[in-house]
Amino acid sequence: MADDGTASNRRDPIKSSVGNVAGQRRRQQAVTVAKERRELLVRAKRLCRVGTNGDVEDACVDNEMMIDEDQPILEAQASKAVEELKSAVQYQGKGAMQKMVIALRELRRLLSKSEFPPVEAALSAGAIPLLVQCLSFGSPDEQLLESAWCLTNIAAGKPEETKALLPALPLLIAHLGEKSSAPVAEQCAWAIGNVAGEGEDLRNVLLSQGALLPLARMIFPDKSSTVRTAAWALSNLIKGPEPKAAAQLVKVDGIMDAILRHFKKSDEVTATEIAWIIVYLSALSDIATSMLVKGGILQLLLERLATSKSLQLLIPVLRSVGNFVAVDPKAILTILIREQNTEESIVGVLAKCLRSEHRVLKKEAAWVLSNIAAGSIEHKRMIHSTEVMSLLLRLLSTSPFDIRKEVAYVLGNLCVESAEGGDTKPRIIQDHLVSIVRGGCLPGFIELVRSPDIEAARLGLQFIELVLRGIPNGEGPKLVEGEDGIDAMERFQFHENEELRVMANSLVDKYFGEDYGIDE
Amino acid sequence: MAMGMTVDTVGELAFPVWNPIRRRFPPDSPFFASGNVERELLAKQVALDLTEDEINHLQIIVETESRRISCPIAGCPERLKSLDHFEDHYNARHTASCSVCSRVYPTSRLLSIHISEAHDSFFQAKVARGYDMYECLVEGCGLKFKTYKARHRHLVDKHKFPTTFEFFKRTQLSKKRREKLQRQHVSKLKHKEDKEEASSDAMEVEDKASVDGLVSALSTLTTADTTPSNVSFGRRHGRGLTFVPRSVHREKRTESSSAPGPTN
Repeated sequence: MADDGTASNRRDPIKSSVGNVAGQRRRQQAVTVAKERRELLVRAKRLCRVGTNGDVEDACVDNEMMIDEDQPILEAQASKAVEELKSAVQYQGKGAMQKMVIALRELRRLLSKSEFPPVEAALSAGAIPLLVQCLSFGSPDEQLLESAWCLTNIAAGKPEETKALLPALPLLIAHLGEKSSAPVAEQCAWAIGNVAGEGEDLRNVLLSQGALLPLARMIFPDKSSTVRTAAWALSNLIKGPEPKAAAQLVKVDGIMDAILRHFKKSDEVTATEIAWIIVYLSALSDIATSMLVKGGILQLLLERLATSKSLQLLIPVLRSVGNFVAVDPKAILTILIREQNTEESIVGVLAKCLRSEHRVLKKEAAWVLSNIAAGSIEHKRMIHSTEVMSLLLRLLSTSPFDIRKEVAYVLGNLCVESAEGGDTKPRIIQDHLVSIVRGGCLPGFIELVRSPDIEAARLGLQFIELVLRGIPNGEGPKLVEGEDGIDAMERFQFHENEELRVMANSLVDKYFGEDYGIDE
Repeated sequence: MAMGMTVDTVGELAFPVWNPIRRRFPPDSPFFASGNVERELLAKQVALDLTEDEINHLQIIVETESRRISCPIAGCPERLKSLDHFEDHYNARHTASCSVCSRVYPTSRLLSIHISEAHDSFFQAKVARGYDMYECLVEGCGLKFKTYKARHRHLVDKHKFPTTFEFFKRTQLSKKRREKLQRQHVSKLKHKEDKEEASSDAMEVEDKASVDGLVSALSTLTTADTTPSNVSFGRRHGRGLTFVPRSVHREKRTESSSAPGPTN
């Protein structure tokens, strides 16, 4: 493998995601939305078409269109290849090594060709024990590589297939060691990454078998390709939702420095994987959070947000910012404002995300802003005084529902002081409320009141209450009525949700009672 | 009516006023689901340091093998090819779907009409009082009708809809279900009469008994366990729940997301 990084002959692994056939199979009817999404998305496995040794022959050049009729043929070939391997392993004579490599290579090719590699056939023919044997210590690098490559692709499919790798795990982990040749270690990391991406149970197995430390160490050097694969595998390993893996990672000496260093300097692809690690660390480990903040991560995140155009990078970076802010908005904001030595202010960077065409960026940026707006008065003023306000108002009327909901949180939070202590009633910030209402936000909130989403309807009603109570000169009710607010609230009269019913009715009673003169 | 400018003690109303709080979500929260999908969909586009030929070949592979990702919304069998397809699909299927009965509509307007007509007892109350509540489905027409049938006639006559068109196919309840509803209706009616005295004059109703009866009967009717329709305009896909906002399922709400606003 060309280590000098010249582009001409060096081919980096093509990482591609696997179709989620398994996900659909696993879907059960009675599962809640949250659990289903999680199950589906946890599967972050990657099929290896071009191994780390740069062997490209079959991946692109073959270009066979795999159609369904070929599948049985492929499966038959796979079984045959496993048989060949078996006899090669048993053969003791001259040229045994060579035979093994040839047999492995054939199997590997078959497993790298199509979207649906003949994994089942290979497994039934008994591939795993043979591949484990091929991983034994002292084997030549090429053998280790081919074997790990086969295992990688076996692990990239259905859950049962991934689980089949269990007997191979100790050896795969072992070959992550610092004495292994780099391509071998990387290929093993890839296989382990697929296993970790399968589910929490397998992650726990990997952790108990000590996968974390050697994987973490693979991030120390500067070599890009290895770092990328290892970081990806590591992110799969620590994603939780249990925090223990993240906690373990933080304890690795020097890891936080390595993470910061790579995030700062690497190319965008590597930085993306590192960013996902940061996402999980910031969500799952308070120690990691404070160490990263002390290490200056916030500025680095903002810089990436400001300069990158890669959606794949922007998502985890934005989410990391969101996680940090969510931990302690006031503290984080203070640090950000104090450290501001670039042109990028956090609000400016979030505005850039709001202007993006990508739904996810808009939604999560609004979420971050809502948390900032939940902070101190200074933070609210900081947002309110910028051009982000017109963006928000526009988004409230035009964007998809989930974005509108987040924007609603921002706007509402801007209008109310956060209550300190349990019993103080939160005060309305009148000039913010007035300017936001004048900016035309009422129709958007009333629209939310009409939505079938309970949380959104609740937000809408709460904002209406602010308007009714807080707009000076008693103009609130007129404004609300002018936007059909009364009608929207009256829909709750017989609504099955009691809380909303009571909320809506109490507002109508209080502000639009007999004295008001409803035009009926 | 006096409107205080200072903070009002809405205490007697017990209204949960807006209180800004930070919201934190765990990494596997459904809140982040769409962002996680991006990671998968876009992963296939990562390819560095390839020669020109290889890039071309890769394109072909990607297209012919159409690596797809499944839609993460519960119950949706759709598999999408790319981010753009996913966004399209999401917009088409999941932003205009009824959270009560999971029917899907091509526009938000039709969805909202469906919700009013099928799930809103306030709507039915107004119908009972003779208002023209059934809107013409064609956007821009603006006409409204007193009954479902009248609207249907209009769609056929004026807008050339097929006579077999049914915006909302009422499902035939089983005998057991009908009997159960009948029993519930009777007991609810009695319960309502007891509450009459305490209720506020929220809405002027001439004939309270009949409207209340209608309303309570309708509120006991749920479409959740009726058989799926096959000819209706809104396609229902999958027997499982489609996009139901997690707040609707109270008992299943993840404790990690903090609720907005209530002063506790």
